[in-house]
Amino acid sequence: MAAEAALNRHHVSAILVTHDGQTWLPETVASLASQTRAIDFIVAVDTGSIDASLKLLNSARIPIINAERECGFGQAVQLGFDSLAPRSADCTEWIWLIHDDSAPAPTALEFLIEAIQERPQVAMVGPKLLGWHDRTHLLEVGISIAGNGARWTGLEPYEYDQGQHDGIHDVLSVSTAGALIRRDIFEEIGGFDKNLALFRDDVDFGWRARVAGHSVIAATSAVVFHAQASATERRSVDVKGAFLQRPLLLDRRNAAYVLLANSTWWMIPWLSLQLLGSAMARSIGYLLAKLPGYAGDEILAVATLLIKPGEIFNARKDRKAKRFVSSRVVSTYIPPRWSQLRISSSRFFEAIRKRLLPEESQSSSTLLESNEDEDLLVPTKGSNWIKVLRKPEIAGFMILGLITLVSSRSRLGTLIGGALPASPGGSRDLWRSYFEAWHQVGMGSSHASPIWLAILAIFASLLFGKAWLLVTLLFLTAPLLMMWSMLVLLKKFTGNIWISIPASFIYALSPVAIASINSGRLATLVVLVIAPLIPLMLVNWKAIERHTWRRIFGLCLIGAVLYSFTLVAFVILLGLVISGLIGDYQNYSMQKNKLLFLERLYKRLTLLIAPLLLTAPYSFEALANPIKLLSEPGLSLAGGLPNVVILGNPGGDGALPWWLLSPLLLILITALFSSTKAKTIALYGIGFLSAALLASSLSTSTHGDSAPSRVWVGSFLVGATISSVVTGVIILDRLRSVLVSSNIHFRHILAATLLLVTGVYAVASVGWSISVGANSPVHSGGSTVIPAFLSAEKDTKTLVLREVNNLNSKTIQYYISRGKEVTLGEPDVAPSQNAQISAQAQALIDGSGISSSKTFADFGIKYVFAKAPFDANVIRTIDGLGGFTRASATSAGVVWRVGGVTGRVILVGDDGARKLLEAGEVGARATVEHPGRILLTESFNRSWQILQEGYRLERVKSDLGLPMFIAAQSGEISLIFDGTIRRAWISFELIAWVFLIILAAPAGRRKREIAERELA
Amino acid sequence: MKRSISALLALVLSFTLATLLSQTTGDSIYSESFPAVVCPPALSGLNSQISVASTKVQFQTLENRSTKTIPFRSLRYTVVKNSLVVSANGVTPVFWQSRSGSWAGGTTCSGPISSQWFVGGSSDVTTRGKLIVVNSGLSEAIVDIQAFSENGKQPLVSINLKAKSYSELSLDSFATGDKALTIHVVPRSGRINAFMIDELGAGLRALGGDYVNPVATASKTVVIPAVPNQLPKKGSKAGSPHTLRILTTSDVDSNFTLELMSSDGNFVPVGFNSQRILAGVVTELTLAPKISTGSFAVRIKSDEPIVAAISSSVTVNGRKDFVWSTSAPALVPMAIAITGLSPLMLFAADSVAVKIEVTFINGKKSLVSIKGSDVASWRVPNNVRSISILKSSPNTYAGALIASNNGYGYLPISPGSLLTRVEIPHSNIRVLNP
Repeated sequence: MAAEAALNRHHVSAILVTHDGQTWLPETVASLASQTRAIDFIVAVDTGSIDASLKLLNSARIPIINAERECGFGQAVQLGFDSLAPRSADCTEWIWLIHDDSAPAPTALEFLIEAIQERPQVAMVGPKLLGWHDRTHLLEVGISIAGNGARWTGLEPYEYDQGQHDGIHDVLSVSTAGALIRRDIFEEIGGFDKNLALFRDDVDFGWRARVAGHSVIAATSAVVFHAQASATERRSVDVKGAFLQRPLLLDRRNAAYVLLANSTWWMIPWLSLQLLGSAMARSIGYLLAKLPGYAGDEILAVATLLIKPGEIFNARKDRKAKRFVSSRVVSTYIPPRWSQLRISSSRFFEAIRKRLLPEESQSSSTLLESNEDEDLLVPTKGSNWIKVLRKPEIAGFMILGLITLVSSRSRLGTLIGGALPASPGGSRDLWRSYFEAWHQVGMGSSHASPIWLAILAIFASLLFGKAWLLVTLLFLTAPLLMMWSMLVLLKKFTGNIWISIPASFIYALSPVAIASINSGRLATLVVLVIAPLIPLMLVNWKAIERHTWRRIFGLCLIGAVLYSFTLVAFVILLGLVISGLIGDYQNYSMQKNKLLFLERLYKRLTLLIAPLLLTAPYSFEALANPIKLLSEPGLSLAGGLPNVVILGNPGGDGALPWWLLSPLLLILITALFSSTKAKTIALYGIGFLSAALLASSLSTSTHGDSAPSRVWVGSFLVGATISSVVTGVIILDRLRSVLVSSNIHFRHILAATLLLVTGVYAVASVGWSISVGANSPVHSGGSTVIPAFLSAEKDTKTLVLREVNNLNSKTIQYYISRGKEVTLGEPDVAPSQNAQISAQAQALIDGSGISSSKTFADFGIKYVFAKAPFDANVIRTIDGLGGFTRASATSAGVVWRVGGVTGRVILVGDDGARKLLEAGEVGARATVEHPGRILLTESFNRSWQILQEGYRLERVKSDLGLPMFIAAQSGEISLIFDGTIRRAWISFELIAWVFLIILAAPAGRRKREIAERELA
Repeated sequence: MKRSISALLALVLSFTLATLLSQTTGDSIYSESFPAVVCPPALSGLNSQISVASTKVQFQTLENRSTKTIPFRSLRYTVVKNSLVVSANGVTPVFWQSRSGSWAGGTTCSGPISSQWFVGGSSDVTTRGKLIVVNSGLSEAIVDIQAFSENGKQPLVSINLKAKSYSELSLDSFATGDKALTIHVVPRSGRINAFMIDELGAGLRALGGDYVNPVATASKTVVIPAVPNQLPKKGSKAGSPHTLRILTTSDVDSNFTLELMSSDGNFVPVGFNSQRILAGVVTELTLAPKISTGSFAVRIKSDEPIVAAISSSVTVNGRKDFVWSTSAPALVPMAIAITGLSPLMLFAADSVAVKIEVTFINGKKSLVSIKGSDVASWRVPNNVRSISILKSSPNTYAGALIASNNGYGYLPISPGSLLTRVEIPHSNIRVLNP
């Protein structure tokens, strides 16, 4: 009785606000009617519903106040509030706010009143909000607002209610759905802010109540089921001021308003930045999810607020008048930044985990099947590692890892050698190489840097900028990655892991894989890892229309990564697209389905061309010089002859010897006559092999090597190897049952031969890899070519002569060094041979180069360095030529100083006198003391400019083809290389990548598109 | 099946095409030339002539800094001063020098070499010998000179030479007071040639002189193919004695055996079998073979690399002279200009078979075949301008003995400059990769 009396001391007036809520209203009304603590008074405020809401209210005999359709929630509540009878002094009066999409549990009001019995300081009490459809889904137990404006509940997404948050909690605010507010305090504070028509009015009210010295609590014993219809876009938002009727925009705008209106002054700049930053970040996220509308909402929300700062000032003024305690009292209810980050990152990784590792539905055994006694009798099975190791997958990877470790014993450190140049100091150097418009390589070049530099730089950044570590890890883990990717592919063809694991193992030890690692072929390694995944994504090559555009764009991204490393991928794809289009046309000729033909055409061309655009301008330069299409990153290193290539071995330094025959060719030929799917795949394999053979007959002079080198066909052979492995697996998978059920015939002999050859190859290749193969061209080492004193002089050109072993003979080669060794990316942009320097280098060697020193000086070459060991006769010859003065002769080699005044920027007077000017790395500032010609000893390029007193000096090409500027007067000059074009290309690349990533990314769903059951 | 066969045929066709069209790579392009040879300078008081194979052979004087050369216009050119740089184009010019009434000697003009051993000369009071170091290059040169004597290794001498210049160094400065010299010239930089004149005198009395021809490297088998052996006059008991000067260039002592080869037969003279010599010490041994021929050859085999030469006393017109017979490299096809000289060629080998083309002054040519065992000799006719060794038996060594009014001289038959095959370099950024 006492409790009942206590309940009766309170007078509760329910205000039900409706707006097109016929879906939920019946249950809402019913729930209000069935409260264990009866409502003392109820009034409904309808904001212009156009559905059956009014009819429903009328039939429930609830008094209705009609309001405009644009009327906000706060205004509607105020209308209802104004209609209440005058306040009585006998009891404490409360208003209970009910949304038309919320249904209080029968005991909700009773528990709410119970919670405030002993808490006279409470101005507002809210229930525990649960989902409308999933009534175990915990929506809110009090709310707050994060510094970035996010609505903060402190709950996990889709958190299951099992009483873990039960109790009475002090909170910043509670949702207005089911909130019980003391009438006098509501009056005192001034109700809901009129500027908050919808959304965040609850947080704002709670905040204001707090600073007015009152308390806000959430009582979880009271339960309200809430459909969150407006927030989840189940109905239109028609409130006044809701720009474009977009709920997200209104929510974000109001969030920013609440923060800026209620926070202390000194927090406002920081909050503004945070709001802007988080709006930008969320916009990008929405763009990636292809929800440009939401992205626009984020930006517009902040913008609409900032263009009307008067609203904020007025709101702050109003709050200041009613503030009783400092704003800082709410700080304990504002979530700390780290918890926002933690939850955001946790959500992000959870999303990735779900995508990568989807939870498999586990078959649950029924209780009836379990035998409780059995649990007692059978010993508990702990983590049995031996059993784990016996799993073929684990054992296969471990054995391969062990073999890789042993065969890589000379590759544990900074890698160099073969086609692989030295790694630069850090990812910053990689970025610099990628971004720079002018490359200080040889006589300098403006070739576009390949995008693989940027890709490496991104991954190197993850390793604290250690580019060398990335390269080492890549070469060390490449066999494991290859085995993994092949295993993923093979699982689509066989369920027998005893076939797929050894086959993947063989792939990782294929001739092309071994040769790529040993000879430092970065691109082929990437192709070896990525290529097996492509058939998985492009299952229907013939019926390409079955693939969605999103998948096509995803494949374009993968294609772009491959194009970035090697444009051989483009050549291969070109061949496939042409053959595909021929098939499409034949199909069109028969079926006359133009739409289908066009769709296939568009998709195939997109696959071919989009990656070209993503890798521009590097790819465009290659198209202009098609021989570059066959090149791979790094130093030019010859591949093998056709007689080696036909066996699947790319040849060249570091490759398996020819006599170590792989079963590739045998399997492909066998599969050609198979009656299974293997035949089709073998046809592709034969195609790849034929292309490899034809390419191996070509020689190219690229990447800073003026002598032609046989084309490396590793990337072509990757296709042939994959085809061979897959066909082998398909044949073996099916063959066993055939062999068992038939008498001995040729198939038995063929199968035995295949297995024998494969087995012998596997054993022999492993043996070779861990013995002879371990001394591969790629090795770890930190030796240098250029003596330290030559490196010390800034940007000094040195002609480096070196004897290089070439096909059992020694040849003399040279290049112009800028005081350092060649690093990743530089061979790709190295300029072609300069004819004059070439002629003088030849004359230097054969002793006829009386004018060599003069020419070298004209090209800014200050030193000639013969790297030891070097032919003593040639050294004597150079000694005998005029213009070269020995600077040193050490164990590193002999250095001569080139006679005459030379450097990077030379001022030549009218009398021919030369004077060196100050020269930076690319740009420079110097003072010209007299009129003359300014000779820049870099390759000629139109982007070289010299400015003097704001004017560009006239640029001409010197007799030697170098840029020369005419300085008509003395004064300060600025030498610049105008990199506008490079910057434009980088911007284009960035836009193109972002655009394609957005197109390829899974599309986000608008809230209205999400099923209600998923939401609540 | 049809598609499979087609694919297989395509593969075979690709392989065939690739093999046929396969471009040859890795073949280097070479530039071949004979480096210009350098002749010794004409020193004051000495008469100097150069024998060349053609009047069109170009030369320039050492001090000429331009690249311009002029033809000799003569087959035997008298050098007035300085050293000549000759574009001999493979025919080695012979330089003949004499001091009137005192001595004569010859040497071949040669291209720059990285090491020269001179076994000859002395630093005692009788010496008037000189080591001439020529820098024919356009840059400054640094040359290390290491002398050895009977007292062992001497302090290293390093000299700097300006571009296109030569330096005369007195032999007595290398090991003052020591009698037996051996000098190793090692250019550290520059286009260097060295020549040694060993001239002796006692007061105003000339005791003869000769060019000491260099040898490039020490080796375990040394052949001195032509040693003049003036037979005693009738009534005299013994002929002129010979002195073997030998040095092991290694750091350990060595044992050598000397085999004398002559038309009288091959034998090891007494005391020359497994003779021990100290490392770094120049050893002189008297060799007085009792043979009836006017010349002989020696073959020295050692367990360590050695250099050796034989000094032979000769009498010319009643005056004393001496000849330094130095070791020669194995004979290779080559040509040598000998206009105005009529040398006696000696060939030493177990089995001699040499084919020579002789070019006469009038331009006519004839072929000469020389065959024999152990030692064979052939006197070159007077009117020959050059001889070309077309073919020779393996391990055949040749030397030439030349007599003139002023004295005797010796020449090892070896090319002054070898065809230099220089690969035309190409640019490759790989050279910057450690």
